Amino acid sequence: MSEMINVKDLITVGIFAVILTVLIFLFGMLGYIPILMIGLPIIAALIAGIPYMLFLTRVDKFGMVTLLGLILGIVMFLSGHTWIPIVVYTICGLIADIVLKMGNYTSIKNSIVSYGFFSLGVFGNMLPFYILRDYFVESIRASMGTDYVNVILPFLTNEMLIVLIIVTFIVGLIGAYIGKIVLKKHFKKAGIA
Amino acid sequence: MGLKLNFNLDPRTKIIILVLISFMVFNEVPLYISGILVLVPFICLFFSNRIKLALSYILIYIFAKYIQIYLLPTATGIIAIFLIMFSYTATRMLPILMMGYYTIQTTKVSEFIASMEKSNIPKEITIPLSVIFRYIPSVYEEIKSITDAMKMRGFGLNAKSLKNPLKLIEFYMIPILVNAIKTADELSAASLTRGLSNPISRTHFVEVKLNKIDYVLLVISFMGLGIYAYYFLGGVLFA
Repeated sequence: MSEMINVKDLITVGIFAVILTVLIFLFGMLGYIPILMIGLPIIAALIAGIPYMLFLTRVDKFGMVTLLGLILGIVMFLSGHTWIPIVVYTICGLIADIVLKMGNYTSIKNSIVSYGFFSLGVFGNMLPFYILRDYFVESIRASMGTDYVNVILPFLTNEMLIVLIIVTFIVGLIGAYIGKIVLKKHFKKAGIA
Repeated sequence: MGLKLNFNLDPRTKIIILVLISFMVFNEVPLYISGILVLVPFICLFFSNRIKLALSYILIYIFAKYIQIYLLPTATGIIAIFLIMFSYTATRMLPILMMGYYTIQTTKVSEFIASMEKSNIPKEITIPLSVIFRYIPSVYEEIKSITDAMKMRGFGLNAKSLKNPLKLIEFYMIPILVNAIKTADELSAASLTRGLSNPISRTHFVEVKLNKIDYVLLVISFMGLGIYAYYFLGGVLFA
């Protein structure tokens, strides 16, 4: 740690946390269509790549990405997900931070990989479904109807969770790459990247 | 309303209530339990000059609950899915959405920071959270004005533009991000002039303390939590 995190960094974290939160909520609305609820982490990983890459241009200290994860987790907690997102987001942020640190905060390859890990944080919103599966299926059956449950049930197995995590990681890499391209196309020209 | 109540809740109260509601929102409970939770945001909104919103909130909730109890068992097919979607969203998410709206709308950032520092939460967490408080409303305003600007150029939110979702995302995302970076710079300049980076503990202009009304609301919501926990534990114990 060469330098402590200062107020400017904290404000940047706050601003980007807002943008990621808005994105996750907007795409979370799609979750009411049964299949898309499962695809939610994948879509989120693809879209949120652009803000994340822009965020990384402002990051040069250890801890900022972890903090972003922690703040996102707290926001999710306050907005009706359980406490699990706080843990998951923070861990994913920490791993992403370590990957960035290994690339000395300048390597493009490392920032793409770190986004792959960071995008797994969305599973914090999903994990309650898997941990409390039986209980949850019953409560969904009561509230969303049997049709919804029948569509969703094949996707709620543990094998499916692993597949989803891997797919999300890969899509996260693609999303980060897209973010890099967009960064070059729009923000380099405007002089803010 | 001639009712002049000093209805200025401590930010801590608001956040505790928000957390309590978010605990309970995920499970299906009988109406007499969830009623307590539903009423707390209603009271908050009602006594802070948002009477119209409070009334429409409670009406929508009652309507959705009515659908859930009386119409759902008999509905089938595609109508059932829509009814389920509506009633599920309204009964579970609406209380917490309203409480969140109330919290964000009525909490001044200075109050928030003062109360957070009073409860010894490190500034690494309070500063980003207060930025979130301050910035979420303006993001929505920005989204609105971006939509207007796109309409002026013949690219509104309609079926034609939805055919091209990548373009749509790009057109929304880029201005928001550019604005965000600008806001971040401005806010950090402003905070620097106000001495936010000063390591010495600060004094506060606004005074935050828990009033009677805070205690009343807290007691009500903790009672709600108690009944809720009792219901679940009792269900486990007697099952």
